[in-house]
Amino acid sequence: MLSVHQVLKIFNRGTINQKTALDNVNLELLQNDFVTVIGSNGAGKSTLLNAIAGNFMVDSGKISIESIEITRLPAHKRANLISRVFQDPLSGTAASMTIEENLIMAFRRGKVRRLRPAIGSKERDLFRLELEKLGLGLENRLTHRVSLLSGGQRQALTLLMATLQKPKLLLLDEHTAALDPKTAEKVLELTCGVTEQQQLTTLMITHNLDHALTFGNRTIMMHEGRVILDIKGIERNNMTISILLEMFEKASGSHMNTDRMILA
Amino acid sequence: MSAQIALGTTEQGLMYAIMVLGVYLTFRILNYADLSVDGSFTLGAGTAASLIVGGTDPWVATGMAFIAGTLAGLFTGILHTKFKITPLLSGILTMTALYSINLRVMGRANISLLGSQTVFSDFTKLPFMEEYGVLVLSLVSVLFLGSIIYFFLRTELGLALRATGDNELMIRSLGVNTDLMKILGLALSNGLVAFAGSFVAQNQEFADVSMGIGMIIAGLASVIIGEVLIGTSSIGRTIIAVICGGILYRVIIAVVLQLGLAPTDLKLITSIIVITALVSPSLRKKIASWR
Repeated sequence: MLSVHQVLKIFNRGTINQKTALDNVNLELLQNDFVTVIGSNGAGKSTLLNAIAGNFMVDSGKISIESIEITRLPAHKRANLISRVFQDPLSGTAASMTIEENLIMAFRRGKVRRLRPAIGSKERDLFRLELEKLGLGLENRLTHRVSLLSGGQRQALTLLMATLQKPKLLLLDEHTAALDPKTAEKVLELTCGVTEQQQLTTLMITHNLDHALTFGNRTIMMHEGRVILDIKGIERNNMTISILLEMFEKASGSHMNTDRMILA
Repeated sequence: MSAQIALGTTEQGLMYAIMVLGVYLTFRILNYADLSVDGSFTLGAGTAASLIVGGTDPWVATGMAFIAGTLAGLFTGILHTKFKITPLLSGILTMTALYSINLRVMGRANISLLGSQTVFSDFTKLPFMEEYGVLVLSLVSVLFLGSIIYFFLRTELGLALRATGDNELMIRSLGVNTDLMKILGLALSNGLVAFAGSFVAQNQEFADVSMGIGMIIAGLASVIIGEVLIGTSSIGRTIIAVICGGILYRVIIAVVLQLGLAPTDLKLITSIIVITALVSPSLRKKIASWR
């Protein structure tokens, strides 16, 4: 489904701050794979997602989705294939616009924007139905500005926006990290529901090792721009947080920020 | 203030309100302080005036002024998006270049339209329009353009434009080419500003190469005044606020002039209005709470 082949990205090349963010990364995702990504800060997790989403061009390598090569496509031309939820609840929605306006923009993801009235009653009914499923009471607030919503509500809305038009690939970049534990659980629950229901291929970054093993069907660990661990099936079922930490330390030869990984 | 001055001020206010609508599109919708406005206002005035003097139909000349303005906006947009020049500098570059271009378009520093056929001279010849013709035509134009902008901002394309100013990363991830949106917004905005310039020139029956100086600040002041007094709870309300702000700004200027201040002091007063509004967002809230 998703194929990342020998992708290299070096930031600040030729300067004192040179950093190899992605060191010839290889990653293959199958249809319906839900892959969780872990790794310490600066391991290249977000860089990998940004490379796939097209926020910058990679130095070398190939990225393709369902045999469509997207390596050189600008971000806005990948939108019909990929949707994304960011860590910051503020960055996934347009605050000054209403809930229904945000939803309709997501509903038209990757399509040509025309000079016709954006929202009709048919779309409004659909939005009400979908918002009801979130269970946050947003279905009665279609014309409210998004700036009036809480962080959790905004993140739930962003998740709905990302899946309103089924994407080929869903990218989740620590999308619950900025939320309080209860809201985070709720958003994760919604995530699971929608990925199962729509059979989405998903790549989810998390700092929570427990989540990394319980959600999805496969876990990868990154370190210094490389994938250093890739487990699924029985191997993953037998995995525990402590073994995972041990493996990390063995593979990378350095100590992981264990407090944050366990307590997150 | 005598009735004559009141009428003239309102007429002018309505024409400048068209310019303010343009400034609103960039300043508020795109979140882009576009200084090309100073040049494109004169560009509109100069284009219309020289075409009218050359015998072109005044409405065609006004249309050409609009198109000239969109080209100026297009230029600023390309400087910013394709060559990554900062918004302020892109605007200043266009504004400076336009000063020379405007002189080329006009052929001299000012063009008199005295006795020429203008959109207003035609309109005031219609029945019952002799006295209030200018007022009616300006009002109809503002309302027409204001409603077009209102409906445009609610189309799919309009939403993409608004989102570009609000959250660029997000709308790009939804498949919108934000560079194109910025260029579109700047072109539309400068088109409106040039349209306003051509109206003002035809009304005052001359175009002058320096008539656009300080226009952007006047535009910003008008947007801010309107928003503070009328509010921004919806797009429709904001557009009405912006139009009223444009008219009110002219009224303030007229009052200040009546109080005996020299016309040359006006730019200082305008700047003070904008500074006051910009340095104290809390002041805006306070004023809003007085209402």
